[in-house]
Amino acid sequence: MASLNYDEGAHLLRRAGFGGTPSEIEDLSARGREGAVDYLINFSQIDNSAMESLLASNFDFSTQQKINNGEIRRWWYTRMVNTRRQFEEKLTLFWHNHFATSSSKVQDIFMFNQNNLLRQRGLNRFDDLVLRVSQDAAMLIWLDNITNVLGRPNENFGRELQELFTMGIRDVVTGEENYTEHDVQEVARAFTGWNYRRQQPFPFQLNAAQHDNGTKSIFQGTPWATTGNLSGEDVITILCARPATARYITWKLFNFFVYPVTDSAADKSTIDKFAKVYQNNNHSIKELIRAIFVSDEFFSERAFFSLVKQPTELVVGAIRMLGGSYNQGTGDRGSNTLSQLARNMGQDLFAPPDVAGWDFNLGWVNTASMLERFNFANSYLSNRNTTNPGIFVTNDQLLSITKGSAKKTVKRYLSRLGPLSVGPALKTLRDYLETGDNGQPVTYVNDTATVDKKIRGLVHQIMCLPEFQLN
Amino acid sequence: MAINRRQFIKRSAGAVSVSVLMPKLWMGGVAHGQEIAADPNRKIFVVIQLGGGWDGLNTVVPYTDSRYKALRPTIGFTDSELKDETGASTILGNQPFGLNPAMGELKSLYDAGKVGIVLGVGYPSQNLSHFFATDIWQTANPTGSGTGWLGRYADQKLIGKSGLSAVSIGGGGLPKAFYANNIVVPSISPAGGADPFVNYTFQTDGRFAGDRNNQVNTFRTNSTRDFPTGSFAEALADAGFGAEQGATQLRAAVQTYTPGATYPSANQPSATAVNFGVALKMVAQIVTTIPDANILYVQLGGFDHHSQEIGTAADQFRDKTKGALATLLKAFSLGVKTFYDDMAAHGLADNVVMLGWSEFGRRPNENASIGTDHGTVEPLIVIGNPVKGGIYGEQSSLSDLDNAGNMKFKVDFRSVYGTVLDKWLGADSQSILGAKYETLGFLA
Repeated sequence: MASLNYDEGAHLLRRAGFGGTPSEIEDLSARGREGAVDYLINFSQIDNSAMESLLASNFDFSTQQKINNGEIRRWWYTRMVNTRRQFEEKLTLFWHNHFATSSSKVQDIFMFNQNNLLRQRGLNRFDDLVLRVSQDAAMLIWLDNITNVLGRPNENFGRELQELFTMGIRDVVTGEENYTEHDVQEVARAFTGWNYRRQQPFPFQLNAAQHDNGTKSIFQGTPWATTGNLSGEDVITILCARPATARYITWKLFNFFVYPVTDSAADKSTIDKFAKVYQNNNHSIKELIRAIFVSDEFFSERAFFSLVKQPTELVVGAIRMLGGSYNQGTGDRGSNTLSQLARNMGQDLFAPPDVAGWDFNLGWVNTASMLERFNFANSYLSNRNTTNPGIFVTNDQLLSITKGSAKKTVKRYLSRLGPLSVGPALKTLRDYLETGDNGQPVTYVNDTATVDKKIRGLVHQIMCLPEFQLN
Repeated sequence: MAINRRQFIKRSAGAVSVSVLMPKLWMGGVAHGQEIAADPNRKIFVVIQLGGGWDGLNTVVPYTDSRYKALRPTIGFTDSELKDETGASTILGNQPFGLNPAMGELKSLYDAGKVGIVLGVGYPSQNLSHFFATDIWQTANPTGSGTGWLGRYADQKLIGKSGLSAVSIGGGGLPKAFYANNIVVPSISPAGGADPFVNYTFQTDGRFAGDRNNQVNTFRTNSTRDFPTGSFAEALADAGFGAEQGATQLRAAVQTYTPGATYPSANQPSATAVNFGVALKMVAQIVTTIPDANILYVQLGGFDHHSQEIGTAADQFRDKTKGALATLLKAFSLGVKTFYDDMAAHGLADNVVMLGWSEFGRRPNENASIGTDHGTVEPLIVIGNPVKGGIYGEQSSLSDLDNAGNMKFKVDFRSVYGTVLDKWLGADSQSILGAKYETLGFLA
């Protein structure tokens, strides 16, 4: 069994979760590479009762009216900050981006139900996950399948199912086009009549009179050509068995969890290699993810800090890594909640910009979103109100990380928030600690007054570094 | 200045300390504390992205075409229905086209000869994916990859100009149209409330104002380190550095703006119209106070009307003057007219050209959901005093559709881009678009 050093453990926890404190990272590293991965992905075995009781005492979803826009966001962020099953929430985020559905069109209760579905079924066979998501009210509404009826098909779902949820427009490895416009129209016919019952718990129902029982002919001229009275279930089964789907899902997992995949022959070969894990394990997402997380690719130098942090990762990670606090409050009406901060940076959970999800990496980077990142760090570090809803860190908490010298203190915080390697910025940050209001040199003193002013400023500065924006 | 961090390092290496030199570079050529004087040579180009694929056939309505009526029995307009909310006809003179009744303001600009409508716009083998199609339009490249068309223009023309010479207004990411090799185009997300620029500043701990200089200097030094070329770290440093610098400059400049027109407010006629108006007002604030301001970009999204394109629940989705498309087109029409009036009040009406575009039009045949699926051809709208008003291009036939039931294009969208580049922005369209496309007549 491969060992797992501290930096590798921190890398794994940042990617499979949102990052953690030194004791969490040390605990993970002590398990070794495979042991740590198994621990994270077998999350149902991790005791999460503390978070569950926090949720039970701070959220009331007893009626449909209470399942509203603000509350479902507050609820998910409270989970992400407090869960001991970090991968469970990160995986839910992956699927939320993959099956990107938005509250701009879909009622909050359906968004909430879909989120729970993704959390509960995220490691299933892919066929099962796609089918359940497709038959869930949120998706039926989002991509207009509830108005996709015999004789007047609506192509919205039939297109995105192929383009975004399973195969992609082109095979990631071979570059071949995976489907035609004719296939979009035929697949749409297979899903006619798919609807949901308008009563709790809003289960799937097939409106037989609206379903097209005629012959559909898909993927003509390819090895996957099929003709017959295809149902939606049939189409999903066919799609999930195509190698293009195995490659596309692998490609999406790599881009989300490992590193940005290029068009190079080497990368195509890597994707194809892991796609076979999907194909050889009955389309098991769990086996595919496990293979990716224990791989040398995942722990390669290329992978470390190769992704731009998503806003959600940034804000949740800033709390979890530093050991700060999130007072989730009893309602999402304040101005300093995590969901609003992340939304300002371009990631509004439950409301991705469109059905393709968020645009990662450089998609997060523009002058407006960078200012939001910097100003988030400042509001976090300069908030001294420990009673109102919001995020904060206390002087005592900061004092537990400081050291006797400026240099050691800077190093301690850089380690805590990454660990980050920042070259000459180390000296610049040290100079900051040792500079007074008029620009004159001052001697660093490890006391509460210094913490309240300069350590808060130091952490703000570290969180403004390009290195901190990377994951 | 539109100098990037890398160029800055090269120019300043070994010279002066970063914090002393940087603001001067950023302030170069910018007026301080007053609105700028009129300059007949100023060229301002405002791009309006109408996201989601807009329904061109219900925007510029071919009301005399019997095929239109046959393909759109529910959502189509008859000639007698082409009247705005005041009862005035929206039919375009003696043309066989009328504007959607929600667009009375745009009709008034058309009547004044300030609106060019280019019909039949598309490109060969149009892609019907929102994302791929958007990338194609943004890059002006059939593969949808590489830099953006405005980014390539900026790389040629805006080096050495103010860092605010090209600006995108809107949350979310920078539009791919602005992806460039050498320039970082700022993107500003509007804040709610009286000052839409209020979030656009680098904040520090209010308890220790005396430490702010140390904070800002530390930030600038750390953001101007050298990073591997093309790395995410470099992009993050560039954008972060540009954000702090640009914010400082912009916040000072826009204080002097006074609106010359009344933008929509208080959810009237819709929250969408208010938000779009805020973005256009921010454009006005920038172009009236930053002399180099040249390319401005705003977005109005939500045109993906697969269902319930017309009407509201109250009228069982039958009232064509209300509903999803009407709300968006009203926001577009009212916003454009208000911005036009504001520019006129500032003596800038002769200096501004606006262009509205979407990633595709919609299918001629309505679907069973009182909506329309993804289509191909669309009309493009060009607005401004420099525009020669009228109809350009050619309406695509509704009798000669492709296999998916979509129209065949008559004018390549790059012809529109090329015309703007050559005739308005004084650029060389061939070097930016990779080929020379037909020049259209909507600009002198």
